[in-house]
Amino acid sequence: MGFGKATSSSKAMKIIETEKKISVLIVEDDPLIQKIHKVMMTKFGTEVQVVANGKEAVDLYHSGASFDLILMDFEMPIMDGFEATKELRSMGVTSMIVGVTSRSQDSEIQAFMKSGLNACYVKPLNAEKVTTVLNELKNN
Amino acid sequence: MERTQQHRQVAHMRQSLFDQGLLDEQFVQLEELQDDANPNFVEEVVTLFYRDSARLVLNIDQALDKSPLDFSKLDSYMHQFKGSASSIGAKKVKSECTLFREYCKAGNGEGCMKTFQQLKKDYAVLRKKLETYFQMARQVGPVETACRRK
Repeated sequence: MGFGKATSSSKAMKIIETEKKISVLIVEDDPLIQKIHKVMMTKFGTEVQVVANGKEAVDLYHSGASFDLILMDFEMPIMDGFEATKELRSMGVTSMIVGVTSRSQDSEIQAFMKSGLNACYVKPLNAEKVTTVLNELKNN
Repeated sequence: MERTQQHRQVAHMRQSLFDQGLLDEQFVQLEELQDDANPNFVEEVVTLFYRDSARLVLNIDQALDKSPLDFSKLDSYMHQFKGSASSIGAKKVKSECTLFREYCKAGNGEGCMKTFQQLKKDYAVLRKKLETYFQMARQVGPVETACRRK
């Protein structure tokens, strides 16, 4: 399939090379966003797992799993991103947790941040946001 | 030569979707995720969007039929719909979602209904244009093929 020319953001989409692949947990109930974020993160050279709500993320950690980075949606059934992040932090989880939300009001983002996020971005993620997150993770 | 001409037509069709304000930068982000590992990624994502959003369109239609209108519910549905539309770069549909939500906040039922009628039209137009575009792009194949010497 022929598509348009690559833009400058494609040049920003460098695969971040580390000795061990960065592990990413995508916590997201929307299948469309799951697909986009999974492919995006895989393209950045990370190893990706996807769960559909906050409870599944918490259960994974309870079972002994751990990830370098969690991309946490806000609105999800069963357990939302706010509750899941609070729970993970209360369990002593120190993974980088980045909120990804369709809420764009500052007050809503600040409220989500209070759950214990390291950062929060408005959906959809793009190459620039992912680069920023992965560089921050690499530097820490 | 003919192949090059076909590729130009596909490129022109693609550009027109941006020029007409139907698509935005997010669509380009999706294109940049397409590669040999995911050769039909963009079309798959668009197909998934139209499949999943059909349910939301139905929900909104049904909610607009009720009296009195539940603006909170309508806003919630449209919030979801807007999120999905944003994810594929559906610029015009997204802006109509925003307008609809403003009418919800204002409690303006007529505004909601008019906006939703327009949104459904634009949603259908975009679908048709993208289907045509993907079909043409599939027929002409990747750009590299067109440039390959015989």
